Amino acid sequence: MCNACGNPAVPGHWTEAGADTPGDRLRARFHRAGLLDKVLRPYGLTAHDGGVVPGIQLSTLSGNQSIVPDLSAVWAEAERLLGRPIDPLDPVFLHDD
Amino acid sequence: MTTDFADGRMRLTVLGGYLGSGKTTWLRHQLHVGSFGPVHVIVNEAAETGVDDVLLAAASGLTLLAGGCSCCTGRQDLIDALRGLCDQRSRKASDEQRLQRIVLETSGLADPGAIVAAIQGDPVLVNHIVIEQTIVVVDALHGLAQLQTEPLGRRQIGAADQVILSKVDAVDPASLTLLRATLRALNPSAPQSAAVLGAAQPLPDLAPDAQAPALPPLSDDDTRGTIFPTRLKIDDSIDWSAFALWLSALLHARGNDLVRVKGVLPTPAGRLLLQTVRKVVQSPEILPAQENQSEDGTIVFIGRGFRQEDLQTSLRRFAGRPTGLGQKT
Repeated sequence: MCNACGNPAVPGHWTEAGADTPGDRLRARFHRAGLLDKVLRPYGLTAHDGGVVPGIQLSTLSGNQSIVPDLSAVWAEAERLLGRPIDPLDPVFLHDD
Repeated sequence: MTTDFADGRMRLTVLGGYLGSGKTTWLRHQLHVGSFGPVHVIVNEAAETGVDDVLLAAASGLTLLAGGCSCCTGRQDLIDALRGLCDQRSRKASDEQRLQRIVLETSGLADPGAIVAAIQGDPVLVNHIVIEQTIVVVDALHGLAQLQTEPLGRRQIGAADQVILSKVDAVDPASLTLLRATLRALNPSAPQSAAVLGAAQPLPDLAPDAQAPALPPLSDDDTRGTIFPTRLKIDDSIDWSAFALWLSALLHARGNDLVRVKGVLPTPAGRLLLQTVRKVVQSPEILPAQENQSEDGTIVFIGRGFRQEDLQTSLRRFAGRPTGLGQKT
């Protein structure tokens, strides 16, 4: 358990695997947050990961913010905010322009 | 003395299979020849009285959970038993020999997927236990008939990392091929091997064109369509982070229809083995480099109604490098 933030040192979320060195981990976090932000923006949400504190910051366009621990929690929180899940098999993702 | 695994967690093998498929026989032989090393065995029996525990005396420790299947009614008993093992282990001094491996023999009525989900969903156990693999024993004599009629049998196969065919000496080669083709159709990613009374038997390669008999849809499967496997090729434009982003969203939205995902992907840290059972993702594992890595980047999806072209397009448009994704209104 981390004294400062109270986050238990659980084995990382599965989406965070595949990066062994601190540099790779940080790069992966920035990269992930960038990709996530691109997905969320059309839904009126933004994502940010400053790389300092654990977790991903989600904001609505009206300024509501929450910090969620991992990607699974991101999708759950997005579903709560939108009232429906973000579905990768939604027709919007299935048609090439 | 066996040393701790690098991450300090224990390895759990889930041994499943239909009633009477030969789980205990197989495990008894493995304990006898020491394939697992020092191991604690947990036996779950759905009935009130256990007999398997007498047969498995070769284990270094044994827990019997009788009277309740650990994937449903007996789930809390299983969690408590595993937590007890974790407690005992944590109390030992670091220079003492500590328990490294656990084998859980499920009852024949259990869905291994549900057990894996229960263990990984427990906040204590997830810190102490890594689920290493799910082995499912299939009765070569009766397996095909069970798969024709029993939805549970199909779920067990879907959850397997490895399938062991028991009683192969009692069937003719043609029906064995038929069964193996069916198993391959249900779970193409699980390697198959054979055993007689637990001792490994050679198994010829299955011809790629071996046809599986059509399995009738079962009433317990719901009407949204049958479960079938799909393969997805991940090209260079999708890196691991992008794939994980897409898959985590897909699992959240469609996890109940996605029985299993398995494959190896390249990452900065090496080749990463990814496996899911329904909504639960096992801790991904870094694999050593191999000469033949041609299957890397191919992910098997076993699910209900997932079309390969839909998955491919969705992955590219959801997580690929900048596309012309318009603003959704």
